[in-house]
Amino acid sequence: MQTIIQRRKRIAFLMVLPLLALFIGLTIYPFAYMIYISFHDYSLVSFEPPQFIGFQNYQNIYSDLTARSSVSFTVFLLAMAVPIEIFLGLGIAFLIRDVFGERVFRGLLLIPMMIPPVVAGIAWKMLYNYEFGPVNYFLSLIGYSKVSWLGNHIFSRLGVVMIDVWQWTPFVFLVLYAGLRSIPQEIVEAGYVDGASGWNAIRHIEIPLIKPLIWVVLIIRSIDALKLFDIVYMVTFGGPGSSTHSYSFYIYKAGVSFGWDIGYASALSILLLLVIALLTNFLIRFLRLKEVLEL
Amino acid sequence: MKTVVKLIKGMVIIIVMFFFIFPIYWLIMTAFKKSEEWFTWPPSFIPSSLTMGNFLGLEGGFFGSVTTAISTITPYLRNSIVVALLVALLSTLIAALAAYAISRFKWGGMGFVSWIISIRMLPPIASAIPLYVIFSRLHLINSWWALVLSHLIFTTPFSTWILITFFNDIPRELDEAAYVDGAGTWQSFRSIILPLSAPGLAAVSTLSFIQSWGEFMMALVLTTNDKAQTLPIYLGRFITGWRIAWGPLAAAGIVTMAPVILFSFIMLRYLIRGLTFGAVKG
Repeated sequence: MQTIIQRRKRIAFLMVLPLLALFIGLTIYPFAYMIYISFHDYSLVSFEPPQFIGFQNYQNIYSDLTARSSVSFTVFLLAMAVPIEIFLGLGIAFLIRDVFGERVFRGLLLIPMMIPPVVAGIAWKMLYNYEFGPVNYFLSLIGYSKVSWLGNHIFSRLGVVMIDVWQWTPFVFLVLYAGLRSIPQEIVEAGYVDGASGWNAIRHIEIPLIKPLIWVVLIIRSIDALKLFDIVYMVTFGGPGSSTHSYSFYIYKAGVSFGWDIGYASALSILLLLVIALLTNFLIRFLRLKEVLEL
Repeated sequence: MKTVVKLIKGMVIIIVMFFFIFPIYWLIMTAFKKSEEWFTWPPSFIPSSLTMGNFLGLEGGFFGSVTTAISTITPYLRNSIVVALLVALLSTLIAALAAYAISRFKWGGMGFVSWIISIRMLPPIASAIPLYVIFSRLHLINSWWALVLSHLIFTTPFSTWILITFFNDIPRELDEAAYVDGAGTWQSFRSIILPLSAPGLAAVSTLSFIQSWGEFMMALVLTTNDKAQTLPIYLGRFITGWRIAWGPLAAAGIVTMAPVILFSFIMLRYLIRGLTFGAVKG
């Protein structure tokens, strides 16, 4: 008997092996290398071997104005876009359920989150065009003058927030909508019997029931907002100046596109990884893995 | 009173849907517009005439614009197809094996599953930087394999996750019966689990295909020319000039998004399940 169990365990290990090899080769090893190189002065354009410089790269981040600006933009995005997405997504979920044609609406709302971000970037760059763009046209209809969406520090930041809201509110909506659907009808009806109606039923019965789910989307969205890159690259290219450098975009610029400073980019990446690891840790606590995966 | 509420509700829905659909509508319309209607004030919301010229590379641009965009798309389209197909195939294969071991033997337990989620959440730029250095030493930069390997980092955790839930839904008694009949682990996996979870395998391979197809950052960092660059990079290259020929670019955008939209409508249920790590069954 013992041998059969042992044999099965060996087969199980063999089956996980490709995934393990992939993870070790493509994440563990590169990250170990990244930690190592973050303590070195290593530029790809200088052809010199890495020089050990201790914590110098990390200290430089503190005094680097562009890095600070990219952190401030990323925080701005987290503080603006993510709450809007949660409230709007929740609102749409309540708005659209039980309305004639809800399946069509749900299907259409899927499009913004599914299309490649690069394609969304093209669409929005056209919409934000100063002279001929429809966004400025709509503003002129309600009496506002044209806005330089890609040339003004504040408006370009708001512009990126708007695209993020456009792209990811549908995700929040889809998840919360599915969550609302899965609430047993009897619970809501019992609430009605007890005198809860409309708004009260939503506030005191349904929202508390999907609260864990709201936390899950909140954390997933926060992690994704920290990784924002494609939209920035396509629509603003970090500009004007460095006002819409998202943190990932700045790492890209420092590490591969302009700076080629691998040591510094690695130090920046490690800070990002630490924040994301922390958030992922929260996420895992909220997921109730044991239940979902029957482990 | 009731009708007023209904009316307001209807108006709000129309405004909301307009916000989410208009950018797509604009992209599609631009792709079929003649060059004189790319830049007009007021913008031409309903083009006076439609043309296929933007797709065929016939529509003339204007002085200084990048007009021939669409005619050079072929190598990028080829790279995108090859890379996405390889990713879909390998990702499903690797994930199915691992998911079976996790579903039936609880291999690695909670720790391993948490690890899979963490890898799914990694910021791509943090992988791209060290992979650039490592792949240059291995002379993999600007090759299909650089993209396939880097895309597998985020598609395999996603696929493994979805497949675990699929395999869990298959009654264990079926495996047991197979064991009694003398089948080994490998045999029962191949002849019972795999056929029964065919919809799941189809779902994860399609979703891996979509993710690889639209991926931008790895392709941007790890490839340098049309030998390996994919469609998103092609689109990214033509948006940086200041005189952009919107028609052909929008047309190329449609070519890029068409398969994604098609597949995601088919796979909606599994998509939600995977994106939320099973917090919603979908």
